[in-house]
Amino acid sequence: MDRRNAVDTLKVRDAKDVEQAVRAAIAGEQPLEIIGHGSKRLIGQPMATNAVLDVSALNAVTAYEPNELIITVQAGAPLADVQSLIDSKNQQFAFEPIDTSALLGVSGNGTIGGMIGAGLAGPRRIKAGGARDHLLGAHAVSGFGDSFRTGGRVVKNVTGYDLCKLLTGSWGTLAVMTEVTLKVMPKPESERTLMLAGLDDATANRAMTAALGSPYDVSGAAHLPNSAFRPATGALAGLGAQGRAVTLLRLEGIAASVADRANSLGKALTPFGSVETLDDAASATVWSAIRDVEPFAAGGALGAWPVWRIVCPPASGGALGQALARDTGGDVIYDWGGGLIWAALPPKPDAQAALARQRVETAGGHALLIRASEQVRQSVDVFHPQPAGIAALSQRVRNSFDPKIILNRGRMMLMSAT
Amino acid sequence: MAIMMPASDQAVLDRRSEIVAALRAIVPGEGVIDSAAEMLPYESDGLMAYRQPPMVVVLPDTTEQVSRILKYCGEQGIKVVPRGSGTSLSGGALPLADAVLLGLGKFKRIREIDFDNRVVVTEPGVTNLAISQAVAHAGFYYAPDPSSQIACSIGGNVAENSGGVHCLKYGMTTNNVLGCEIVLMSGEILRIGGKTAENSGYDLMGIITGSEGLLGVITEITVRILQKPETARALMVGFAEVEAAGECVARIIGAGIIPGGMEMMDKPAIHAAEAFVHAGYPLDVEALLIIELDGPSVEVDELIKRVEAIAQGCGSTTCQISTSEAERNLFWAGRKAAFPAVGRISPDYLCMDGTIPRGALPKALARIRDLSAKYDLRVANVFHAGDGNLHPLILYDANQPGEIERAEAFGADILRACVEFGGVLTGEHGVGIEKRDLMPEMFSEVDLNQQQRLKCAFDAQGLLNPGKVFPTLHRCAELGRMHVHAGKLAFPDIPRF
Repeated sequence: MDRRNAVDTLKVRDAKDVEQAVRAAIAGEQPLEIIGHGSKRLIGQPMATNAVLDVSALNAVTAYEPNELIITVQAGAPLADVQSLIDSKNQQFAFEPIDTSALLGVSGNGTIGGMIGAGLAGPRRIKAGGARDHLLGAHAVSGFGDSFRTGGRVVKNVTGYDLCKLLTGSWGTLAVMTEVTLKVMPKPESERTLMLAGLDDATANRAMTAALGSPYDVSGAAHLPNSAFRPATGALAGLGAQGRAVTLLRLEGIAASVADRANSLGKALTPFGSVETLDDAASATVWSAIRDVEPFAAGGALGAWPVWRIVCPPASGGALGQALARDTGGDVIYDWGGGLIWAALPPKPDAQAALARQRVETAGGHALLIRASEQVRQSVDVFHPQPAGIAALSQRVRNSFDPKIILNRGRMMLMSAT
Repeated sequence: MAIMMPASDQAVLDRRSEIVAALRAIVPGEGVIDSAAEMLPYESDGLMAYRQPPMVVVLPDTTEQVSRILKYCGEQGIKVVPRGSGTSLSGGALPLADAVLLGLGKFKRIREIDFDNRVVVTEPGVTNLAISQAVAHAGFYYAPDPSSQIACSIGGNVAENSGGVHCLKYGMTTNNVLGCEIVLMSGEILRIGGKTAENSGYDLMGIITGSEGLLGVITEITVRILQKPETARALMVGFAEVEAAGECVARIIGAGIIPGGMEMMDKPAIHAAEAFVHAGYPLDVEALLIIELDGPSVEVDELIKRVEAIAQGCGSTTCQISTSEAERNLFWAGRKAAFPAVGRISPDYLCMDGTIPRGALPKALARIRDLSAKYDLRVANVFHAGDGNLHPLILYDANQPGEIERAEAFGADILRACVEFGGVLTGEHGVGIEKRDLMPEMFSEVDLNQQQRLKCAFDAQGLLNPGKVFPTLHRCAELGRMHVHAGKLAFPDIPRF
C-alpha cells in the first residue's frame, strides 16, 4: 500500500496555522512530516507519518536590506527565487548551499527552510563557514505548538542561547521554521581556478593542504580522481572528458588580487606539477558542478549507487578516500581540501555502511548516507550513529523542543532506536 | 546591588566545612581556597560594580577532577559558578554566596598544534593571545581578538562567544571553534566535534558557544587557525558630522568591501584617547573612523583607494592613510586605549554593548545624546561600526549618591533603544547579570521558556551558574509541561490538499 494515499496534507498560511496544526497533532498523537517543496524528502530514514505539514505557501520575502547584508524571508520561499533576488544586488549566500536535485534525481532546488534544515554547504565552507554561520535569526514553532523567536537581524549578537545553530541541520526535527534572517555577502568581483593534473589522491591531499595553509585565501579546494571522468560516470560540466585526475584550487576577489595570489600560489605549487588556469565563467561552472556532486548524479552511470557524504579532518581525506574506493570498488571525489568526501559505493543491502563507517570513524570523521533506496534506508542508519552520551544529550535536546516527537518523527533515527 | 541574585540556601551554607573537605578530597593541596583573604580576587569579574565572595574556590587541573567536583555538587544540590580569567564585562563569573566557584585557571596547556588540519587543541585556561603566539612562527593566528586578549581565556571566549575588532571579516568565536570536551553537571564527560568542519547530528558546539557557563564546563577546545594576511593598512578618516561617518560605513559595506576592522569614535572618545596616547587624532571632528584593510598588498592598495574615494564622497574632512606598521599601530593605539583613556577623565564608567543595524547609527547616536542630557551624565562612544556594535561609555562617579543608579538606568535605556531600532541587547559581552533583567525587552516569555528548556537538557537541577542570563527561573518540570488542548480531531480550519 502506498502510505501516501492516506496522507493528510495541511497547507499552512501563517505561523498561527502552524501552531494550530502542531497542537492538533499533539492532541491526536499524530506525527507530522514537515515539507517545503519536498526536494530533500529522500534524505533521512523513511518516516511513518500520515500527515504532512506543507509550509510552501509561507513564501514571502519579508525584507531585503542589501546595505545591511541581511535578508528576512519566510521559510517556504523558493531558494532559486531568493538567490536570483540577491544576485540582482550582486550578493550571495557565501556558504554556497548545495542543490541536491541532480544527486537525488528530483526536480527543483527547494526552499529556504529546507536549505537551513539540511544545512548542506558547498565548496566555500572552508573560507566562509556553513549555513549555521549565516543564519542570524529565526521564528519557529516548537513541538509544543508555541511560536518562538531566536537570534536577531544583526550580525553581532550574543543575546541568549544561539538556537539558530541547533535549527540549522536539524532536518525539521526540533521546530517548524516560519521565517529566517540570513546574512548575505557581496559576490566576489572575479575568480580564478588553478588546476593540477594527474595527482593521486594522497598527493592531491598534500597539495590542497599546502594551498590552504598558504596566505593566498583559497576559497575552494577539490580533487577529482580520474575515475570521475570515466565516460560512464558523466563528465563534469566545464571540464569535459579529462581522462586524468584534476586538483582544483579557487581564488576569489578583486581582479588584481586574484591575479597576484594566483601567481604566488602557482609558484608554491610547483612541486606538484604545472598549473593550468580556469577563469571566471569556466571556473564558476566547474565549482557549481563540484558543489552539486555532478559525477554521481542520479541520471548518470552511478545513479543507482548509494552515495555517502563523509566529513573528516581535511589532511586525512586523501588516505581515507583512497582506501574506501579501493576496498569497496567505489568512486570518490574530494572537496574542502579533503575534509569532505563524496563516495559512491557499489550497491549492497547495507550500502556498505559497516565498512565505510568503521574507516571513517578511525579517521576521526562521520558519514551521512545521503542517497540510498527506501529499502536500504529502512535498515541502515542514515545519520552517523553517535556515542551513547552524545546520543542521550541530543535526545534530551530534542525533547526540550518536541517532547512528543511530533515533528519529522524517525527521520534522523532508525525507528527501532526511538 | 540593584540586581537580585537567587536566594542563598542556608542548608548548604551550614555544611560549608563538610563541602570544603569533600572538595579537598578531590583536589589536593592549594587547589581548594576557603580563606576570606585568599578568595578576595574571585569576588568579582570585569563588571566590578558587583562583588560577592564565593562559598569556596576550587581550582582543578584535570578533567577527571572537574567531573568529580560537578558530580559531587550535582548529587549534593550545590550550585557551581565556572570562571576563566574573570574578564567578563557582564558579570558572567560573579560568585554566589552559597556556590562553589570553579576556576579553570590551571588548564593552561596547549595540547596539540596541527598545522595540516589548521587547528589548535587547547585547554580552556590558555589566553586568547597565547594561541596566536603559539602558531605565529608558521604564519598562523587565531582570528577572534577581544580587547582583553592578553588576559581573557579561550574557555571564557567560548562561554561568551567573544568577538573583537576583526570579527566583521573573520567572525566571532562561534565561527572559529570546531570542538570541545565538556563536563556536564552530572559529571559526565562528553566530546563534541573535533578536527572536522562540522559535527554530526545536532550542532551542540554551536549551542554551547555563547551559553555563558550555564550548560557545562569546558575542559578542552579545538579552534581553527588562519594564515595571517600578507599585509594590513589603515585609514583614519574624520567627519564634521556623525551622520556622514555613519553614511560612509554603510557605503563601504554597500560597495562590497568587508574591511578587517571598521571602528568609530565620537568627539569625547577622540579627545580622551588623544590626551592619553597622543596618536595624532584630529580634535576638531565629530566622528573618526579607523578602517583597516588586510590581504595581499595589491588588494589592500586598491581597496584603500576605493575607501578613500567613498569617504570623500561622504564629506570627510581629514584622511590619513598608514604607510608603515608603526603608523598603523599608532592609529589603533588610541582606539585600543579608549577605555582606560575614558577612565582618566571620569572616576567610573559603565561600558554598554548593544548592536543595531548599521543604518540606524545616526539615529542611535542622537538618542544617546538626548539620554545623556536627560540623565545629566556624560557619555563617550566607541563602536565596532562595521557590524553595528555600540560601546557607549557612560561616565559617572560612584562616590556621588545616586549616580550609579542613574548610570545604570541610562544604560538600560540605551539597550532598549537598540532593540527598538531593530538590534539586540548585547553584541559580544554577554547577558550575564548585567542585561539579565532586560531580556524581556527582546524576548517573550515563550522565547525565554524555550531557552530554559534547553538548559534543562544539560542541567536539570539548574545548579550551573544560576542567576545569570534568565530574569525568571523556572523548574524544569514546569517548563516541560505540555498544555494539551481539547482532544478535538486534528487540523481544523487549515486548507488541505
